[in-house]
Amino acid sequence: MATLNTALSIATGALDADQAALNVIANNTANANTPGYTNQLPEWQANDPVTIDGTSYGQGVTMTGPSSQRDLVLEQRIQQQMQLQQGSDARQAALESVQNIFSSATSASSSTSSLDIGTSISGFFSALSQLQSNPADNSLRQSVLNAATTLVTSFQSASSQLTQEQGSLDQQSATIVTQVNSLTRAIAQLNGQISQTSGSKDAGQLEDQRQYDIQQLSQLVGIHQITTEDNSLTITTSSGALLVSKDQAFSLSTSVSGGVTHISDYQGNDVTTSLAGGGGQLGGILTVRDQDIPQMQSALDTLAFDLGTAVNTANEAGSDANGAAGGPIFNLPGTAAGSASSISVAITNPAQIAAAATGNGSSDDTNLESMLQLQNQGIIGGTTPSSYYSSFTSALGSLVSQVSTENTAQQASLTQLQTQRDSLSAVNLNDEAAALENLQQAYQAASKVFTILDTVMASAINLGVETTVA
Amino acid sequence: MRFDPFYLNSAVASLDQTSASEQQLTNEISSGTRVNSLGDDPVAVGENVLLSSQLNLDDSFSQTESSTVGALQVTDSTLGSVVSQLTQALTLATEGNNGTLNANDLQSISTQIAGIRDEVLSLANTTYMNRYIFSGSQGGTAPYTLNSAVTPNTATYNGDAVTSYITTPGGQKIQSNVPGNQIFSDPTNDVLQMLNNLVADFSTGTASASAISDTTALNSALNYVGQQRVVIDNSITQLQAAQSYTQTQGTQITSAQTNLMQADVAQVSTQLSTAETQQAALTQVVNILEKNNGDLFSLL
Repeated sequence: MATLNTALSIATGALDADQAALNVIANNTANANTPGYTNQLPEWQANDPVTIDGTSYGQGVTMTGPSSQRDLVLEQRIQQQMQLQQGSDARQAALESVQNIFSSATSASSSTSSLDIGTSISGFFSALSQLQSNPADNSLRQSVLNAATTLVTSFQSASSQLTQEQGSLDQQSATIVTQVNSLTRAIAQLNGQISQTSGSKDAGQLEDQRQYDIQQLSQLVGIHQITTEDNSLTITTSSGALLVSKDQAFSLSTSVSGGVTHISDYQGNDVTTSLAGGGGQLGGILTVRDQDIPQMQSALDTLAFDLGTAVNTANEAGSDANGAAGGPIFNLPGTAAGSASSISVAITNPAQIAAAATGNGSSDDTNLESMLQLQNQGIIGGTTPSSYYSSFTSALGSLVSQVSTENTAQQASLTQLQTQRDSLSAVNLNDEAAALENLQQAYQAASKVFTILDTVMASAINLGVETTVA
Repeated sequence: MRFDPFYLNSAVASLDQTSASEQQLTNEISSGTRVNSLGDDPVAVGENVLLSSQLNLDDSFSQTESSTVGALQVTDSTLGSVVSQLTQALTLATEGNNGTLNANDLQSISTQIAGIRDEVLSLANTTYMNRYIFSGSQGGTAPYTLNSAVTPNTATYNGDAVTSYITTPGGQKIQSNVPGNQIFSDPTNDVLQMLNNLVADFSTGTASASAISDTTALNSALNYVGQQRVVIDNSITQLQAAQSYTQTQGTQITSAQTNLMQADVAQVSTQLSTAETQQAALTQVVNILEKNNGDLFSLL
């Protein structure tokens, strides 16, 4: 048979449960703007009924604890999308500063920047063309020499600016590795706490922190995550280098070799190349450092080498102003590699420009003519020097625009995913206000029940006499 | 129904986006340029590089053309003087051959023709901007020297037979000189030799047997010089035509570049106005959301 004591204990239990639930709501409201915080719902459970003489009596309610409104699949989708988006974002930022090196290609006037490669190439051929009007004239020859100097300076300047970009990306990559290592340590620590405290259940705010850290990590580097049996996470880079296992973090390390930062996993394997394709800021930066810029350098090297070689060959075929056989105009390395940075003008005396065909006098422009024709010949891999440079700038522009389009699409998709996540997991203050209202009323009701039971109990103790026990 | 409680942030993000687009459009209008970085329009940038390079070459051809035309005009007027000198020599020789002159007169004709020969020789050694224009590729060497130790005197050509050409940006090759040995000492129409012969023919006071044939030969040499002058005139005409073509092309390229790279102000203004409308609407939305930010908490 149910007793008054039982009813009192039900009312007390309800008050306790309501208080605990209010605590959850207060915590939600307080963390409404905390990054990574996941909204928690109080979980209610009716206590097991007691059956006496075949009749079941309810035993009140317990608040079994807050549960986080979390969708781990969604969280993981966000993290993966973030790796993509951050990768293209970092690549775009780096490429945008690279494209500025060649921005004079966008100016409509041909004389704005003297160090534009395209302008310098046509400037060199222009000087040759002007020399045609009087091949023996020393001042015209001098201006060919000046144009040649401008040409090599443009190559050197573009090449050294590319190298500087590469250097600054290199530094960034080393900084990111440090951040990755501190995040993996934090995740490993959380792994330890979570597997100790929560077993296989959702770990609430610890899980919030862990997810938040993984999200931070996803901004930096492409990762894979595998949930293990004790609710801890094993994290590897997207190419499989171990970063976190249980409560242990495995640091990436950096070393400089050949002037370039290489990144190794904890076993000492060089993972630089695989990180470049893995996404995250590190992926984007390494892609630009190791693929995009070297490609541009090599295109410039080819241009400088092939153009220089063709001009040298042409000059060597003629005789100079003093009737001597012409020599090379440009100093070039043996192969194309490094040509853009090391090309220089080989002659100092303007008379050494071999305008005349061999054996002809200094007023002859036959050889000059064949040198001038180089501008219309496919001397750079089948295309003319100007169209080669034109394709180069076009290709660079297309790359920037393509990466930027990619980034916009990935950003849009990421925003959608985040909206989805926020509509599930973020703290909705209206909900909290409503819950607060409900709990307040439930608490008031429970306390009323308690008061009435108290009165009833007093009546029972005093056997109907109201005054003795209040 | 669930929704993203941070929807105000999305509205603000959209506001940022329209602001950024307004900034870009304002930049286009104020700079007048549609393409400010390679990524804005890669195809236009590539095209622009080619157009700029073409324009550069056209510009430098203009300079080459004007200084070459200068040299050719000097050549042409020099040949004009040569022709009139030779005409005069021809008159003198014809006069000497008519059999009515005495020895003194004939010797005077010889002296006058020698004077003409010296004049033609010095015309053949004309320079333009420190360059002998009739010595082929040997611009630093005077093309003709006279050997007066032998009779008849001989003129030696010190230049070579190299002909130079100027190439137009369109690839057309235009002759830019005529070597002296094609004008003054051609094997079949040797102007200087004929003059030297005539000087010798009349120098003794008696017209020599070859005087008449030398006079005839001088006449045909005169015609020959006239033909060579036509070559020069043709080159001048061709160069001027190429120049005018190049200038037209330059204008077209400049206008093509303008179309390619410059902002279409009407279009950009329209876009800017659209962006402004959107911006105003979004601001209004954010404003309303902020005023109504009274969620249920404000009613508790």
